[in-house]
This record gives sequence, C-alpha cells and structure tokens, in this order.
Amino acid sequence: MAYPIPILHSAVNIMTPLLLASMGGLFTELSGMLNIALEGLLLMGAFCGVVFTYYTGSMVLGVLLGILCTMLLSAVLATVTVNLKSNVFITGLAVNLLVSGLTVVLCFELFANKGVVVFDGMPALPVLDIPVLANIPVIGDMLSGHPAFIYLSWLLLAVCHGVLYKTPFGFRLRATGLHPTALASLGIDPNRYRFIAFLISGFTCGLGGAMLTLNLGAFVPNITAGKGWIALVVIFLGNKKPLGLLVAALVFALADAFSNYAQGALNIPADFILALPYVFTLLVMIGFSIYAKKKDSIQS
Amino acid sequence: MADTQRHPRVSALVRDSAGILLIIAIALAALVILAFLLSKTPGKTLWYFFFGPLQNTYYFGNMLNSAIPLIFGGLGVSLAMRSDNFNLGGEGQIYSGAFTATICAIQLAPLGIPGAVLALLAGALVAGFLGGLSGYFRMKWDTSELITSFLISNGVVLMVNYLIAGPFMDTSTNLIATQKIPEAFHLPLILPPSNLSSALFLAVVAVFCVHFYLFKTKMGYELRMSGLNRQFARYGGIDTKLYMVLPMFLSGALYGLGGGIAIYGTYFSCMKEFSTGMGWNGLAVALIAKFKPSAVIPAALFFAYIEAGSRNAMLHSDVTFEIASIVQSVVFFLVTSEVLQRVFGKKGDR
Repeated sequence: MAYPIPILHSAVNIMTPLLLASMGGLFTELSGMLNIALEGLLLMGAFCGVVFTYYTGSMVLGVLLGILCTMLLSAVLATVTVNLKSNVFITGLAVNLLVSGLTVVLCFELFANKGVVVFDGMPALPVLDIPVLANIPVIGDMLSGHPAFIYLSWLLLAVCHGVLYKTPFGFRLRATGLHPTALASLGIDPNRYRFIAFLISGFTCGLGGAMLTLNLGAFVPNITAGKGWIALVVIFLGNKKPLGLLVAALVFALADAFSNYAQGALNIPADFILALPYVFTLLVMIGFSIYAKKKDSIQS
Repeated sequence: MADTQRHPRVSALVRDSAGILLIIAIALAALVILAFLLSKTPGKTLWYFFFGPLQNTYYFGNMLNSAIPLIFGGLGVSLAMRSDNFNLGGEGQIYSGAFTATICAIQLAPLGIPGAVLALLAGALVAGFLGGLSGYFRMKWDTSELITSFLISNGVVLMVNYLIAGPFMDTSTNLIATQKIPEAFHLPLILPPSNLSSALFLAVVAVFCVHFYLFKTKMGYELRMSGLNRQFARYGGIDTKLYMVLPMFLSGALYGLGGGIAIYGTYFSCMKEFSTGMGWNGLAVALIAKFKPSAVIPAALFFAYIEAGSRNAMLHSDVTFEIASIVQSVVFFLVTSEVLQRVFGKKGDR
C-alpha cells in the first residue's frame, strides 16, 4: 500500500484553504453572524492574489495586496450588514454573486478572456522541509515538505485560539454572539466586534484564496468549488472551537484527496467526482445534526 | 399628509416602493459608473443597455420571455420565506425539474396533452422532493435548510449534467442536450418573431394561485403564522412541523414547474446548464418583491430587463455579460437594509 501517504500529504495541502476560511468564519460565527460570504471572499482572495502577483512580480507582495482587497470587500460587507442593518444571508449572497461576476469582468478587461489567469514565470510556492519532523516515517511524509503557507496557517490557528480565549477582545467577541445587549449595557458596542469579525474573515479568506491559486499555478472560474460553504459546515462540525476546526477540516480534506485519487485510479465520470464534496458534506452535516439532537435530548 | 393618513395601505405601498426605487436607482447608478470604467464607448454601452431591450419586438418579447422562469422562481422563494424557510436550492430544482419534464415528455408523447401535463407535474414533483428533503432534515434534526438546500442543489446540478452528457444525450446534434420534446407539446408563440410563448399566461395564473393560497386559505394563513412566530403558531394549535416541510416542497415544485415550462415554451430540449443563474435570480426577484406574490411580476420584469440590457450591451459594445451580476449584487446588498427602507419612513410610523 503505497497510496495512503501521498493521499495524506495532499490532504494536508487541501485542508489549508478550508482551515483558513473556517477560521475567519469562526470569528463571525461567534459574533452571532452566519457568514455565507466565505465562498465569495475566498474567490476574491484567489483572484486578487494571482493578479497582484502578476503585476508586482512578487508573490509576497501579491498575496498581501490580495488580502488587502479581500479585507476591503469584507469591510463593504460589514458596513452594509452591520451599519445599514441588512440581512446577513442576503448580503453574503450579494458578495458571492458580486465576486463571481467581478472576476469575469476584470479578467475580460485585463486579460481579454472569460475568467482564466495564467502567466509565464509564475513563482512557485517555496517548499519547506521541517528538519526533525521529516525523518519520522508517515507523519514526516504527511506533515513535511509543504509550502510555507501551510505552516503559517497552523501558526494562525494557535493565534486564533489565543485571541479567542485569552484576550479581552476574544471574550467580548464571544459575548457579542451570546448576549449583545449585556455587552451594550457595559458600554461596549457589539457592532464594532461584528465589524472586526468580518475584517478577520476577510483576512483569512484572502490568504486562503491566494493559496488556492498559487498552489494550482492559475486562476480558473469557480476555483473555490464550494470550499466557502464547506468551511461553514467545518465550523459547525468543529464545535466552534479552533482545534475542532483543524480536525473537521482534515476530515473534509481527506475525503477530497481520496476522491482526487479515485478519479485517477478508477474510471469514475468527472461530474460524480465534482459532486462528491457536496454529497459528503451533506451527509456529514446530517450525521452531525442527528448526533447533536440525540445529545440534546439526553441532557434534557 | 392628511391624505395618506386616511389611507394607511396606500401610504405603506408608496413608502415600500420608494425604498425599493431608491435601491434600484443606486444599482443603476453603479451600472453607469461601471460603463464609464470598463467601456471605451460608455455612451454606446449605456444606450444599448437601457434601450436595446426595447428597440424592437424581438428583443422586447425575448425579455418578457426570460422573466417567466424568474416569476416561478420568485414565487417559490416567496412561499418558502413566508414560512421562515430559506430555499437556496433553486439552481438544482429548476434544472432537475426541466430535465425530468423533458425526459417524461419524450416518453409520454403518445398520451398527447395529458402526457404533457403529467410530464410537467413529474418535473415539479422531483424538484419539490429536493426542496422538501431540506425541510424534512430541518424538521427532524434541526439541520440548517439554508445550507442543505444549497449542497443538494449543487450535487444535483452535476448529476443532471452527467445524465445530459451521458445516458440521455441526443447524439444526432452537436449540442450537449437531450432529445427534443414532441412538437405537439410546444407552447404557442404569442409575439413572433420573439420567443415569447403563452407560458406568460401560465406564470400570471401561478401568481394568482400562490396569492390565493397564501392570503385566502386556512393553510396559507397557518403557513404565514408559522413563519412569523413558530412558537406562537404551535401554541395556537398549528402543526408547525408540517410547515417546515410543505413550504420547502412547494417552493421546489414551483421552481421545477418553471424549469419544465421553460422547456415547453422556449428550449424544447434540456441543454446542459441552460438554466444556470435562474435559481439565484428567482431569489433576487423574491427579495425585491418582499415575498409578495403580486409584486413578483414587476420584480421579475426588472431583472429580465437588467439581463437583457447586459446581453444587448455585450452584443453591440465592448463589455461582458457578467456586468449584470454586479448590478444584481448591488440590489442584493441593499434590498434588506432597514436603514435605507427607513429613509422614506417618516416619524410617527410604527
């Protein structure tokens, strides 16, 4: 059995955008907003990351500018949702719709085609080998030799945990979702925390999206392929805790990696492979809600 | 303001539409800005956008025709939303409904017109089942119907793609499409040379039916009560569990019906991804109409106009069709804003 190790290795790779998106989504979720816009924000990050890399010639600069643009978009989303008091589902859909149109329109303007960005001399992602880890069998193969972004995302996860559970900001953010009026009575504006939560999700989705394109070496239409939606499910499955996100994201990434492998090895029609993430996510989500319901009824 | 005080319903209508008109004005302003940013000939682009769909019978009829599936979708979403259910599965429901209706119509050709009706109902049933499934999951296990309907829809779109390009593909044409439905099933054209068919009348009938159901029947009342306050409705003896599944079923069925009728009236065979975007547009239409069946028709016409305008501008100028989705997203952004709605709500309004 030589297959499992490459599958595990690519699962860790696939997991990262999902993990980053769900991390950002966790902040909005805890502030009491179901952020459907993750999909659109990821796509925005994916597009801007590659476009700015093309124009600046530097990947780091490109990704940073891409993150900035995505945060700008999430600021628009936050302004409309929080300050103009709109329905968060609808504004989230607006972001998804806007980005899917905007990327095509911009592609048409800048590259004269309908949604593909690819160019010569696209810098490859630098790969890091972790010295000691790489020597451990299986785990080393799985965890070492990835682009630096992946290790950055783990670092961010730790930061995310620290911010949420060890800082006044984290306490207040979580209070925003639990009891906004209590927070308001202390003279703290819950809307400020919601706004910041949206900005954070813009930041992580900008980074996660950039990872998607740089990994592939091109931007193609619908490159996110529902990852933003899956990230929402990851948040539920991860029990709204940072470490839970890691586990849930890994489960989805394993399924994805396996289906990629199955596509190559078994002769399954491409549409089935494309549908698999949705079907799998649906099943996991239903399974989890059955579990949660059972637990609830036992407790009460 | 003595006049409006005597007619509270009239003043409410004026206020509501004032908010919507403001939003539409902002969206169109965004379009003008886009045209100046993106086009080398913004004047020409805007002319074709605004007047292209109206310049002759052909374009005008086609615009009206493209509003028909949006009316069905808008009705479907309104029905679900009235019962506090989010149906984000329109894309898959409209596509699967159209596909099922097409396949059944081909099989049921010998039955004549009853066969055509049966095939349409079969399409509605399949799409309704997909919607109802999300409602069932919510009723049974509190699974968010918003996410499940989206996931199911995406999976279904890919499955139908597979079926159209695989087992059901008509190999005698170069299109990726099923066989054509029998000619006897085609709905008559009413504004040649355009594609506008008598499906328009069916859409108007559907609006009346949904309006009647929601506002003149006991079940419609119970559905709306469940949507307004589920706990209260249950306390009042309404079977609120039923109103988690039934509205989602009806919502999907209306989408599916819209898909089937689009085949009978316009497309005649189920082409791969012919309905892409119709589901989301149906949702947008329902939002603009504020889930009022009677307002769905003008809202659908507005959306059809935006799409037709973009298509016209693309044909005659240097912009791409996707500018339509940017204008649509501006509408999405603003349409539920309480602040913008209140701009016109004067003091003293509750």
